[in-house]
Amino acid sequence: MLSVDLQLQQGSFTLNSKFSLENSVTGLFGLSGSGKSTLLSLIAGLKQPDNGWIRLNGKYLYCQSKNIKLPANKRKVGVVFQDNQLFPHLTVMQNLAYGYNRTDNSRRRFEAAEIIDLLEISHLLAKRPSQLSGGEKQRIALGRALLASPQLLLLDEPLASLDKGLKEQILPFLKRVKDELKLPMVYVSHSIEEILHLTDHLLVINKGEILGCGLFYDVIKAKNVQDIVGAMGLENTITANIINNDTKLGYSIAEIKGHTLFLPLANKLSKGDSCYISIRSNEIAIAKHHIAHISIQNQIKGTIISYTKQTSGISLNIDIGTTLIVDITSKAFSELELKQGSEVYCLIKAQSFSFLGKAG
Amino acid sequence: MFELSPEEYIAMMLSLKISLWSVGITLIPGVYIGWLLARYDFIGKSLVDGILHLPLVLPPVVTGYILLLALGRQGLVGKWLYQQFDITLAFNWKGAVLATALMSFPLMVRSIRLSISAIDIQLEQAARSLGASSINCFFSITLPLAIPGIITGSILAFARSLGEFGATITFVGNIEGETRTLPLAIYSYIQMPGGEGSAQRLLIISVIIALAALLFSGFIEQRIAPWLRGK
Repeated sequence: MLSVDLQLQQGSFTLNSKFSLENSVTGLFGLSGSGKSTLLSLIAGLKQPDNGWIRLNGKYLYCQSKNIKLPANKRKVGVVFQDNQLFPHLTVMQNLAYGYNRTDNSRRRFEAAEIIDLLEISHLLAKRPSQLSGGEKQRIALGRALLASPQLLLLDEPLASLDKGLKEQILPFLKRVKDELKLPMVYVSHSIEEILHLTDHLLVINKGEILGCGLFYDVIKAKNVQDIVGAMGLENTITANIINNDTKLGYSIAEIKGHTLFLPLANKLSKGDSCYISIRSNEIAIAKHHIAHISIQNQIKGTIISYTKQTSGISLNIDIGTTLIVDITSKAFSELELKQGSEVYCLIKAQSFSFLGKAG
Repeated sequence: MFELSPEEYIAMMLSLKISLWSVGITLIPGVYIGWLLARYDFIGKSLVDGILHLPLVLPPVVTGYILLLALGRQGLVGKWLYQQFDITLAFNWKGAVLATALMSFPLMVRSIRLSISAIDIQLEQAARSLGASSINCFFSITLPLAIPGIITGSILAFARSLGEFGATITFVGNIEGETRTLPLAIYSYIQMPGGEGSAQRLLIISVIIALAALLFSGFIEQRIAPWLRGK
């Protein structure tokens, strides 16, 4: 579908990215300044690379050696920006029609009525963008991009400027676009939860370079992405199966690798669902024995397989059926007389787990 | 009580005519150069910017003298214009339009450039990705959003044109009915014994026209700009 091999030097920033996407929706994930937005601009033709090529559905959008440089308006690549960028001097309807009117009849894939219906925006058409809420604006921006009948839709952190409540209102619309319109999308975000809501195909970029491409779980377990994964607090990402939800007491029971875990209530998941959960390495405590009468809900038995000295303390790798990374101070490490092969209990508060999204 | 003599009336109308023509001929180049300076980086940009602003910092007499040297009947370009097209600019009202246009152009460009710079470039990028060619994008997005700046720039240039004195008198002289605009007429009346009454009447006219232009500019600011933003 989309293959890219691009080089760009911009001041001290170097972009050198090569990847190929086959899946309908891919999450592009990276820290700020990693080159996510630059990469999107290059694909959309809003910026020119120094060298390389971009191929979409078998056709070159850009190829330095063949001297192909399609301008942005001929690429049929839609972009939804973080700040929606609705045209302030036009009404909502005129905004929606902007791309539609500039698309040949024969090339149109969606009709206005269909998109207006899908995004539930029919009551907004006569308004001006300044009269809309943030979530409404973003739906219009999405509709406007769709009505230009793109072959590929690039979403550049479309939810980043919305608060959490609004995000959750928009995500279902994005999911609808994905499921009902079958439009290939690249979704940029620094929120893994958002990405997992739409897809578990992931592209990881750092300092202008693609570090990994594939299924979420495989990509984040790769060695070369551990720095980024750590910075995002995803160093301990585990697949868990929901066994039961106790709505009365407000917790869920899940199973990982033979251990039973108590988690915060996962009201969006039901019994039998598989999900990704994560716990930061510095939120796990270590004990040498099982401790009775303690508020901490989870005590998982494991074995220390290795440890490394860090500037801030000791980082342990503990085998609990999967590897858990635990950071403790050097003082604690020596007081507990830990060594390779020690049997320990990992103490984790239920509330310390966060749900990333449904797996599979 | 307040009645203009034919000479005074002619001076006022001439001033308005020259100023309107001056804004008229600078509007399109002003928008183009303002856009170029706001949106593009090119080699020699600072030089272009510098030359453009030169009339703002040079003594107006110097600008007028340069015009006379270049475009006078004996001047390098002026001679050619006269021989080829029978066009004379020095010492007639068309020359006055050129002099005032040159003097007010930097103000016009400055205002337009600022208003275009203030438009989020991503709006234009969004338009491009929706299928608009760069020209189409300019006319459908950039130009409408820059209208307040273009109007403000035009009014500033108009007001500057009304007040133009030094370059005009040097390049086209002080010929009644041809190049004697309001400021030139006021100057002439002050020099003339018994001309105070005329000078003061024209002074009042000048203040009224300038004030009207400023009020109109304020009105635009208050009405059109928010309307464009959809408020």
